Amino acid sequence: MNIKSVRWGVIGLGSLGVLTVLILHWMVFFWVPTESFQGVIQRIFYIHVPAWWITFLAFGIVALCSAMYLWLGDERLDIAAVAGAEGGMVFASIGLLTGPLWGRVAWGTWWTWEPRLTLALLLWFIYLGYFLVRKSMINPEQGKRIAAVIGIVGVLDIPLIHVSVSWLRSLHPEAVVLRPDGPNLDDSMLWTLMAGLLGYTLIFFSLFLARYAVGILERNLDLRDTTSESSHRLEFS
Amino acid sequence: MTYLRLIWAIARKDMMIELRTYERLAAMSAFAVLVGILFNYAIDTSLVRPREIASGLIWMTIIFGGMLGMGRTFQLEEKDGTIEGILQSPIPLDAIYLGKVIANFVLLTVITGIIFIVFGGFFNLQFADNIIALVGIVSFGILAFVAINTLFSAMASRSTMGESLLPVLVFPLVVPIVIYGSTATSRLFAGRPFDEVTGNIRMLAAIAILFLVAGAWLFSFVIEE
Repeated sequence: MNIKSVRWGVIGLGSLGVLTVLILHWMVFFWVPTESFQGVIQRIFYIHVPAWWITFLAFGIVALCSAMYLWLGDERLDIAAVAGAEGGMVFASIGLLTGPLWGRVAWGTWWTWEPRLTLALLLWFIYLGYFLVRKSMINPEQGKRIAAVIGIVGVLDIPLIHVSVSWLRSLHPEAVVLRPDGPNLDDSMLWTLMAGLLGYTLIFFSLFLARYAVGILERNLDLRDTTSESSHRLEFS
Repeated sequence: MTYLRLIWAIARKDMMIELRTYERLAAMSAFAVLVGILFNYAIDTSLVRPREIASGLIWMTIIFGGMLGMGRTFQLEEKDGTIEGILQSPIPLDAIYLGKVIANFVLLTVITGIIFIVFGGFFNLQFADNIIALVGIVSFGILAFVAINTLFSAMASRSTMGESLLPVLVFPLVVPIVIYGSTATSRLFAGRPFDEVTGNIRMLAAIAILFLVAGAWLFSFVIEE
């Protein structure tokens, strides 16, 4: 893969993603029926839920790349983990901002100390720590390794989030799609949700690819300025 | 030497240093008592009954006091340059980690005992009837906290931000410990039966095991140059 194909990949995935998200918004506002219990406010669900799914996907990629980086020591895996973490932070922020908008109407409060909300907010802070550690280590190579450790520890938090909703008594709506007995929502709602998931996935991978390519280029540029101990250029794949 | 003996060698070394200097023990127990005094004046006793919020105060004091001492787990070794010696010794890295965890666990257990006695006196708490359940909750809670804190203090010792990095990394992960630990403790303070807290104890034990296993595995990536 060369820089040209990466560029086209980023543009292609990005524009497809933006187009899908535009269609998603049309579906959310004009096409999908209003939910009978919650009313209009439930429509935020089609943005909120895919954002969290992508967050979990992104942080899953971070953990996987981090674990493989610790194992194989390939610097490209570290760059991929950073790309995933930055994308994950964007979608986690979307999830954290859209949640309270819904909560204000549905629960009558912007925020509640409900376990799933708490742990989701904490996940955001764990990945903030991920970036802090990378910047503050005396030895940058060690910083990458330690950040990888945090990337893995952060993902241990995700099952805890999922379990906590059923373990402790909780206000947060139960899962409607990922259930043992199959999804229990209307077909049109499921389609809208899937459109959101597709659009966000495309945008995420476009951002991921762009950030990954920039990471590789930055790394190769550093090599020209300094006589670093690892002196080989990195290829994209 | 067998694996357990190696762990014990590290734990014994740390505990011996502590017993000869009393540095961390003195700082942490002074912190615990002084925080108790500050809490006493921070609470308006005409609005809230201290006994009702005592378990939260106790757990926060354990966490903050623990951070104060645990942050220094590797400081002495970094300062004297002896960490290289330990790393070059034939002790496996996870044994070093587990030894450090044991030494920290013993230290924090002593501090927690002091916290309970002091806060019990200050806020007139009755917990003698439920002492066995309390010991269960507190030991698993502290073990989980120490497991994660020991791992991260190794990171902080290598960072330009030093110990100021520690809260950002540790606090998000100790929230489950505080949730399960504090609710169980306040139930026992309120005189509820033991059955109501067994779920919390199981959960704390699970978190402690998870953190210990993860810590032992990840420690080598944190400490090696």
